[in-house]
Amino acid sequence: MPHVELLPNSSSAAAPGWTYVVDTGYDPSKVAINPKDRKRAAPRGGPRGENELSARQQTAIARRIAQLERDNDPKQGIAIPGKPSVPKTQNARRIIQYQRQIKHWLDDEEAQMAQQQQAPSSRATAASRAVAQTPRRPSIMPSGPPTPAEATPAQADHAEPEELLLSITSSMPPPLDQTQLQALLSAPPLSYAASHVAPPPAGGPPQRQFCDNCGYWGKIKCLKCGARVCGLECKEAHEATRCLKWA
Amino acid sequence: MPPKGSKKASTHVPPQTLVLDNGAYTLKAGLIPSASANPTYNDCRVLPNCIARSTRDRCSYISSELDGCKDFGELAFRRPVEKGFIVNWEAEKTIWEHEFVEARAGLRCDPRETNLLLTEKPNCPRELQKNCDEIVFEQFEFAAYYRCVGATLNAYHSSDTSSVSSLPQECLLIIDTSYSDTTIIPLYHGRLIQPAVRRLAVGGKLLTNYLKELSSLRHYNMMEETYLLNEIKEAVSFVAPSTAQFSKDLERTWKGRLGNKRELDSSIVVDYVLPDYERSIHGHARPHDPVKSRMRRGLQPLQGPREDLLPQGNERFAVPELLFNPTDIGIQAVGLPGSIIESLNVLPEALKVGMLANVVVVGGNALIEGFMERLEAELRALVPAEYLLNISRADDPVKHTWLGAARFASQPELLKGVLVSKAEYDEKGSAWLAKRFVEGDR
Ligand SMILES: [Zn+2]
Ligand SMILES: [Zn+2]
Repeated sequence: MPHVELLPNSSSAAAPGWTYVVDTGYDPSKVAINPKDRKRAAPRGGPRGENELSARQQTAIARRIAQLERDNDPKQGIAIPGKPSVPKTQNARRIIQYQRQIKHWLDDEEAQMAQQQQAPSSRATAASRAVAQTPRRPSIMPSGPPTPAEATPAQADHAEPEELLLSITSSMPPPLDQTQLQALLSAPPLSYAASHVAPPPAGGPPQRQFCDNCGYWGKIKCLKCGARVCGLECKEAHEATRCLKWA
Repeated sequence: MPPKGSKKASTHVPPQTLVLDNGAYTLKAGLIPSASANPTYNDCRVLPNCIARSTRDRCSYISSELDGCKDFGELAFRRPVEKGFIVNWEAEKTIWEHEFVEARAGLRCDPRETNLLLTEKPNCPRELQKNCDEIVFEQFEFAAYYRCVGATLNAYHSSDTSSVSSLPQECLLIIDTSYSDTTIIPLYHGRLIQPAVRRLAVGGKLLTNYLKELSSLRHYNMMEETYLLNEIKEAVSFVAPSTAQFSKDLERTWKGRLGNKRELDSSIVVDYVLPDYERSIHGHARPHDPVKSRMRRGLQPLQGPREDLLPQGNERFAVPELLFNPTDIGIQAVGLPGSIIESLNVLPEALKVGMLANVVVVGGNALIEGFMERLEAELRALVPAEYLLNISRADDPVKHTWLGAARFASQPELLKGVLVSKAEYDEKGSAWLAKRFVEGDR
């Protein structure tokens, strides 16, 4: 896949505020974008010189994604048409009156889990805690077995050779281990945050870069905001529209 | 009604069940008589789960009232479900009452004589589950109720999905790619394997919002035109068959450089003719015509019908590509095939094999042209060659989870095993109820 074509004189700045970028496989999975994923993403971090996103760029990307993920526009405030029916109990009244958004409920859930981790309930079994309450390990594909601390019980029993994408070695898998099966079936749900898939593996293909204006490959980097564009025409459009919009 | 706490309270089951798949974008709903013959997709109504308001005609529309809307311009939406979970009960209650309780409701029922089978997304925060349970019994006063992750009921389709089965399928991997997100849900005999549930935060909502953003940047301000951009997304988007083809299509839709302009490939680029909400309510796509496209820039004839065109080039395939390459816009997640592998890697090998042999895709994004082909090809490449991969799209991916739930509800012996009556709830409370639904007796 041609991520980026190298342009002649790629290391020198072509115009004030602009530079041609040699893309050496910069991988933004090495930086935390989503604050919720910070724990998991952080260990992948590490200085990558000038290819690393600035904190400002990270904020800009996170803001844009939050905007794209939004369910409701709080500014719109659409009222309930007609005459609403009366709440029948105190509980119902309280629940119907909540004006909270999903992020508030999810923040509550995370806070609660953090508390439980500090003072583990004596009733919870070690296995269910390990599955439900520790932040999940990063993806184990395509290489590298999980470290012992990261492994869930399910995986610990099946630390297979690391090279395979799926750790299946023969077409005749061993019969189901009933104890393991029961542990999986009785494990409590993950929290919403913990259910998210891991960032791409560190050794995977680099992130593709697109022109911020027209969507073609982004070969040139804007020095002001870090966005990519495909050429001069889009550079001008970018500066007139989105440059620093999310900063 | 028998006295509180009596044994009879749990054995009286009303003869009909409101089966409700309560999605963020639409409700899928139908009334199912118990012991009914095999329910079908036709028994399901799809209702917008929103209250909409037009700043143009100052009308408000509750759910199915949108059927009568003639002008979707600048229509604003209030959605009770956020990230897949019911958050705003003021709005959801209004919609439920409008569709299920009020005199003119399309699926009118008396909740006190009706069971409610309600589906939810996996990993719902407990406080939100509790709110839901309390509203169901204390505000709506349903006679009996069961709440579960919708995907689990897909196990009650027989394996050819044409009929009812009272025994769940042994291994079933549900991929639910819908409005809020895409979830991967492994089921063993209809039971959720919770530690292996995975969520990719890319769904139809994100794709529509992304298309809205791109179209506004490149053409006109479309930020208030959510309805229209969703319509355009459904009409024109496709998933490229491979990353190599994606690159080729990107070349074919590039305008070129100053002084070296390229002709846009009209086998990919289309012009979407926008509705004017006077003569037309909906728009349509046609192959790109550079002449007409130039005319839209202020050179329209003074006489005769005007046309507003929105060209769609790389947007057509770059938008749904986010399901396979979320990092294209900086979302730090593996794509859908990698997400499936991540889920399977939690399972013992025998279960992995079983799951791969029975993968079923549900949810509206499965309808995007090319989606299934790309998913199968990329998943196949990640799975060892000697393993059977059987992946299929449900006949109606939008209604399929509802149908699984309806088939479950049509079997009194299954339903009785899971329902909780209002009397039991009144006696034991919502904490007990939540625990009962988690542990179940299935
Ligand atoms: Zn460009
Ligand atoms: Zn810039």
